Amino acid sequence: MFKPRSEAARGYALSSPATAYVGFLVAAPLVILITYSFWTQTYVTLDKTPTLGNYRAALSDPLVHHLMLRSIWIAGAVTLATVVLAYPIAYFIAMKARRKTIWLLLITIPFWSSYLLRVFAWKLILGFNGVMNSALLGLGLIDEPLDFLLYNEFAVVLTLAHAWAPFAILPIYVSLQKIDPSLLEAATDLGNSPLQRFLRVTLPLTVPGIIAASLIIFVPTVGDYVTPALVGGSDGKMIANLIQVQFGAANNWPLGATLSLLAMMSVGFVAIVFVIAGRGLGGRIR
Amino acid sequence: MRLQGIAAFALATAISTGCASAGGADLSVFDWSGYEDPGFFASYMAKYGNEAPSYSYFGSQEEAFTKLMSGFTADLAHPCSDAVRKWVAADLIKPLDESKLTNWADMLPEIREVDGIVLDGKLYMLPFEWGNTGLIYRTDKIAADAVSLQLLADPAYAGKIAIPDAASSAYALASLATGNGADYTNLSDEQFKEASDFLRAIHPNMRFYWSDAGQLDQAMTSGEIEMGWAWNQSELNLIWNEVPAAMMRDVDKGIATWVCGYVHLKSSTTPDEQVYDLLNALTDPVSGQYIIDNWGYPHSNAKAFEMADQANIEAYGFSDPKSFFEGSLFFDAVTPELEAKMLAEFERIKAGF
Repeated sequence: MFKPRSEAARGYALSSPATAYVGFLVAAPLVILITYSFWTQTYVTLDKTPTLGNYRAALSDPLVHHLMLRSIWIAGAVTLATVVLAYPIAYFIAMKARRKTIWLLLITIPFWSSYLLRVFAWKLILGFNGVMNSALLGLGLIDEPLDFLLYNEFAVVLTLAHAWAPFAILPIYVSLQKIDPSLLEAATDLGNSPLQRFLRVTLPLTVPGIIAASLIIFVPTVGDYVTPALVGGSDGKMIANLIQVQFGAANNWPLGATLSLLAMMSVGFVAIVFVIAGRGLGGRIR
Repeated sequence: MRLQGIAAFALATAISTGCASAGGADLSVFDWSGYEDPGFFASYMAKYGNEAPSYSYFGSQEEAFTKLMSGFTADLAHPCSDAVRKWVAADLIKPLDESKLTNWADMLPEIREVDGIVLDGKLYMLPFEWGNTGLIYRTDKIAADAVSLQLLADPAYAGKIAIPDAASSAYALASLATGNGADYTNLSDEQFKEASDFLRAIHPNMRFYWSDAGQLDQAMTSGEIEMGWAWNQSELNLIWNEVPAAMMRDVDKGIATWVCGYVHLKSSTTPDEQVYDLLNALTDPVSGQYIIDNWGYPHSNAKAFEMADQANIEAYGFSDPKSFFEGSLFFDAVTPELEAKMLAEFERIKAGF
């Protein structure tokens, strides 16, 4: 009688710092955000009469639709590119590499430098007189610098795919690592070719890792604003850039809060659909 | 040598403890980064034991406004004339007392009357530095008599132009290009539409909307872009890097002028005497000469222009301040409704709507 209660108490005690942290730094700001979204801002005065005006304005605005869809599209492209590029690396480390720790350490090296520095590094590589253009000019392959490398959606996808790579490699690596080698041996004994073995055993067993990696990348990418601001040029802007304008130059926090909540809801919706679809797909391959 | 050093140190300590009535660092200034340069307030340092004020920084006026509105406190802040009306409306700043400003009589006569510095007859901002926002172009690619604001819309310059990612500056450019520069702060619906149409017309040519001046400077240097709407600071960087570029300084073709300065925050806690000591140090002609010669920015004190190197003044393009004050577009606060319209419309234009 006494023991379970004490265990429960210990459990609460152990989880209370995390709960308090989440409460103060996630739940409280979220409540503030929701409250703000029902207010109205005119110049320097904040009208606290509750209204759905911000939601009506945001939902009926084609600009918001356009930027929201573009953000989801870019985040989707980033997720796909990162996972596809990360899978072979994770596979190599989990299945073939001998010094796994060193390989994992090497993969995290880009993370030792600031995220902003990595974005600027891509500007140097892709820029008008950057590494890529200089090399191509030097080799005589082009006559004048290519200008489609930087300041567009492609540059945003490329930069983010590089920045997120370790976040995709690690979960996929863990799920590959967990595969029981006897399953692979059994598949070979039953006459599967290496490709069949991969598609019927390895890939389905790593679906949880792929889903985890995709969510880790997709969710924050939709809300990224530094990368599009720096390398997106005039047609690579995303929804977070519009939100930033509301909280900054436009000084319209209520509308900014509304846009943030709408973005969160869209991301949540897409993520749930993705998880359900991913589970279904994983089951089907099996 | 060593003894001398110790003696000098002891003397310096004696002087500083002797003179310091209060710590120089007690005064807090909310500023753009870089303005903590001691050359700007030498006489303040001399009075307060060689101790500089404490500086904290903002990256944009909007950021500063947001931070102050959410309770950040300081004694002085450094906005530009276009922001002052909003800061006054938000009850953030208090008027300055002209009688305590020892250099007020020596200020450039025109600058004392700029709208936004004086509001409803009260002086709110002590002008410190000013400059131009104008069209910078590559002189080796475009001839001086061919360059114009309208050239930005020419399809021949597709991917070769850049303007700031800031609605007010973009609309200043557009108002000038459509001949409505004089009505910039109060555009009629029709004038606003003309300006928006101009920005839509130049959007396809845009390489990027620049958010930091360094981005523009590099693109101008490499030849990635050939024309850009930018601050005189960019022109200086290009001159110092020997890039063949210049700002179109023709008031008839269209150029804008900005003035920035110091405002006294209502949250100030340091005694007024010390606050005004810094204000007077900043507007001292010696400080003015320093900023002209070392930073390439024009100062607000007329005497500073006489003391500074005339070759610099000529090279940096402000030998005739009066022409800018009379003939150029001034970055004054636009009416709040128009400002909201500009911000909303500019986001649309940038997204291709």
